Amino acid sequence: MDKLDYKKLGLKCGLEIHQQLNSNTKLFCRCPNELQGNKNPDFTLKRLMRPVLGEMGVYDKAMLTEYLKGISIIYEGYNDSICTYEIDETPPFSCNNEAINIAIKIALLLNSNIIEEMHVCRKNYLDGSVPCGFQRTMILAKDGYLELEKGKKIGIDILCLEEDAARKIKTENKINYFRLDRLGIPLVEIATKPDINDPLECRETAERLGLLLWSTNVKKVLGSIRQDVNVSIKEGTRVEIKGVQKLDWIPVLIEHEISRQSKLINIKNELKAKELKKDNIFNKSMDLTKPLAKTNSKFISKGIKSGKILHGINIRGFKGIFGTELAEDYRFGTEVSSKVKSISGLKGIIHSDEDLNKYKFSESDIKKIKELLDHEEDDCFILILGNKNEIEKATDVIINRIQYAFEGVPPETRKAIDNGNTEFIRELHGGARLYPDTDSQAIINSEEKINEIKKSLPEYPWNIIKDYSEKYKVEDQKIKDLIFTGNLDIFNELLKIYPKNPVLIITTLLDTSTALRRDGKKINNILEKDYKEIFNLLSRKEIGKEAIEEFMILKSNKPHLTIDQIKKELNIQSISVEELNKIIQKILDNLIDLIKEKEMNAMGPLMGELMKEVRGKIDGKVISEELKKNLTKKLEEINK
Amino acid sequence: MNEKLKGYKDKAKNMLEKYEINIWDIISIETKKSTYKGILLPRNEYSAPNVIEIKLDNNYNIGINTSKIIQIKKLGVRKADYKIPKKEFPINKKLPNIILFGTGGTVASRLDYTTGAVIPSFTPGELFNAVPELAEICNIETEIVFEILSENMRPEYWQKLALKIEKAANEGKEGIVIGHGTDTMGFTSAALSFMLKDLNVPVVLVGSQRSSDRPSSDAALNLINATRLATSDIAEVVVCMLGSSSHDYGLIHRGTLVRKMHSSVRHTFRTIDDLPLGMIKDKKINMFKQDYQKRSDKNTIAKTNFEKNVALVYSYPGMENDILDFYVDKGYKGIVIAGTGLGHVSTKIYDSIKRAIQEDVTILMTVQTLHGFTGMNVYSTGRELLNMGVIPGRNMLPETAYVKLGWTLGQTNNKEEIKKLLLTNISGEYIERELPIAFNYNIDQLIKKKK
Repeated sequence: MDKLDYKKLGLKCGLEIHQQLNSNTKLFCRCPNELQGNKNPDFTLKRLMRPVLGEMGVYDKAMLTEYLKGISIIYEGYNDSICTYEIDETPPFSCNNEAINIAIKIALLLNSNIIEEMHVCRKNYLDGSVPCGFQRTMILAKDGYLELEKGKKIGIDILCLEEDAARKIKTENKINYFRLDRLGIPLVEIATKPDINDPLECRETAERLGLLLWSTNVKKVLGSIRQDVNVSIKEGTRVEIKGVQKLDWIPVLIEHEISRQSKLINIKNELKAKELKKDNIFNKSMDLTKPLAKTNSKFISKGIKSGKILHGINIRGFKGIFGTELAEDYRFGTEVSSKVKSISGLKGIIHSDEDLNKYKFSESDIKKIKELLDHEEDDCFILILGNKNEIEKATDVIINRIQYAFEGVPPETRKAIDNGNTEFIRELHGGARLYPDTDSQAIINSEEKINEIKKSLPEYPWNIIKDYSEKYKVEDQKIKDLIFTGNLDIFNELLKIYPKNPVLIITTLLDTSTALRRDGKKINNILEKDYKEIFNLLSRKEIGKEAIEEFMILKSNKPHLTIDQIKKELNIQSISVEELNKIIQKILDNLIDLIKEKEMNAMGPLMGELMKEVRGKIDGKVISEELKKNLTKKLEEINK
Repeated sequence: MNEKLKGYKDKAKNMLEKYEINIWDIISIETKKSTYKGILLPRNEYSAPNVIEIKLDNNYNIGINTSKIIQIKKLGVRKADYKIPKKEFPINKKLPNIILFGTGGTVASRLDYTTGAVIPSFTPGELFNAVPELAEICNIETEIVFEILSENMRPEYWQKLALKIEKAANEGKEGIVIGHGTDTMGFTSAALSFMLKDLNVPVVLVGSQRSSDRPSSDAALNLINATRLATSDIAEVVVCMLGSSSHDYGLIHRGTLVRKMHSSVRHTFRTIDDLPLGMIKDKKINMFKQDYQKRSDKNTIAKTNFEKNVALVYSYPGMENDILDFYVDKGYKGIVIAGTGLGHVSTKIYDSIKRAIQEDVTILMTVQTLHGFTGMNVYSTGRELLNMGVIPGRNMLPETAYVKLGWTLGQTNNKEEIKKLLLTNISGEYIERELPIAFNYNIDQLIKKKK
């Protein structure tokens, strides 16, 4: 694909980042801020969510749809980490000050204006992810900016402090299962203004926001940061893409979305040129179950035999539209079909723009379908197979989506999928879901408090990266990796203990630990204090750097052992240089023939032999220096 | 207070007046760093001064300190346009006719998104719109009897309610549901139990612990259970609320044995000292006890006389004579004591007890343990109190005893008759036998065992 002219396309992107904070307790109760992993729950609760009447006295359509699905919810909880607040049995307690302070710090780093009096609001959620049916959220700051490398400022619209929702575990027999440990963990939501006009710029913004967040007291584990991208082009519309898990996905997703939107705009223009009208294109929709009961297509006949209904819809003048490629590997047909799947539960649709041979229809089948649906050359027909309820829902979805083709791009929330495309999740929510939380008090952010926090703002991470990479002579990426693995603070601590080899510290924290993790070692068992003790031993020359990995392996396997105990278990008794020299002498004597043959080139094999005896007991650099010294001496003796 | 600037005072008020701005105006506030556009909101009178509160375009509310404000501009006025869709409650002649009395609180409601205020819906049409399931159970008629917070309930309201029920029951309503705030629901259920003689239809009190404006509310489920119960054969005053934290089953509590036992959970109501009468799930009623009064052709009689000069006093270490003396001085006719243990008070207040009884003030003893009986023959204190003329209230809950004493003193002035009435089981307030599991029954386990 040629590089697109984003300016001409009128590309506008915005980012929405959710990041969990690392406060001790949750936002509105004093439960520990800790996920419980796969631990079996102590109790379960069953709940139903009912739609509530909106401001105008009517039900929200999306809510009603959700309710009519007849889904009930089971919450799973733990006695030691869930209280009556999370299960919506007690009003909220005071808002967590520690979380507010972390969020203020982030807001200040983003040059935002802190709201002086915050009001907690409720945002309705009917999917069950919040037991009370709404999330508590508040605006903490507004109108800031983030500066990119080349000086462009990306506006920060709002920064909200809110509660995380419960974790969905599974859906079974119309029951959604949620686990409550994540519910109530403090979260900041940062929304940028739509100031981003280039996919790579969007990646940079996301990366900088991530780096900035991870240089404050936020949770630094997989899943603690989630990002959504908003994309629109001229004549297109704002589409929200959720579930963007990797920074490198961002440019790809945006390119695909640009393509999708521009092609949808093309379709709109094409339909206009054909002078089609959205109200009279559906000339025929009918039940084809009986006429096609004996079809050659096994897929269809099997379905009909099992009690399913086959419906056909003919769309005037739509030939070729369903086959139009909107993005790589994604056609208009895919677009309609994925929406049908999401809403009706059907597996998909069949349309006349695809290769009908794959369904093994006979020629007479096709002829029959065309006749019954009054299908003409310029038309497109769609077949759907399912039960009555599914067919009704699917028909609605298909008609609505096709009619929207006349307007261009529907405003939607979509989900990123692996191939760089996206699929429909739901219509984009309006803003009216927010209303004041009558259970909480307003929260004041005093000027004194803000000024106090200003005193302890950290350096911007991109400055740290530049500074460290120059100072310690490592690539930028290494320092970025330290931040994104949550290791920057440990690095700084270890550097104080062992200042002479920053690269060794980085290698230990990044490469060694990654390699061990890939090996299946539980490196989470190695705590910051363990690393400190290991590097203390190293700096006191009680162990050599070659022993670090062994310490890490043993600590991963046996977390109850202290580093001292591990040292004993590894039988590491450090040796002095004199002792080392004795061992060297012994080896030189034993391998005198080798030395005579290879002279200085014997260093390699000799080192290997020596390491078998002294690995980890003394610094490797000292070993090699002493060996070289001794070998030179020996050679001099021999050559005399 | 100036309604146009409700809740604003001092600098904030002066500033808004200066720019001629009223609440609900759409305004733009310019500060040194930012410009905020939104709707000016009314303010809680107890909130911080010198802050102007607005709802932003994104629907979030924020407060801005006046010291940061450079200027305010009025951009327009928010137009409110409320409409509740008109839906007729469908009449089905095959279904029983139920009347729902409202006393305040909200069974169904909708929300004002701007203020967060809850606007109650109460007509049958509105109820049907909110809880359409009701139409499968009964035909419903509604009447708002009064609109109060349940903590403001008074004996005269019980009297009014009892008379309304008497009329409805005798005029052919097949069941009565009362929407009631949960705080004092147990008092009202006890009062109606004593006041309604020969009750011929079910009277079901119901409320909600999570208001009906939130998706997780228990209001709809409780209302569905209560209306179903009102069509049953249990012609007693009962409370029907969820029996567990789950949206699963409701429990049926006898009006004189029920107590609110938790300040906030959904299953806050418990039958004390006995098992609940039964449970209701998916419109099916399952009785745990069979000794209940059945629907009849009797004429219901409301005996509503009530002596208001009755007090409920909690006994505690360090209590002095002046507590009871105060009530006697003020002319109170009866005092319920929630005594310690088996029904005790400190021997230090014997004087005031003796004086009260001498002055014909009835003293009724209950236990602050809530569970168990008074046992006033066990220790000398109990024996001495009995000897002074204190009446033992057996297993009666202190709140039920308070209502019973007021009602009894409303029925008669005769000392002997008072004592006799107090010791008679009028409306299931006394139990004959205390089941061993009554102390800490677990309904979930009970159901499992039954299966």
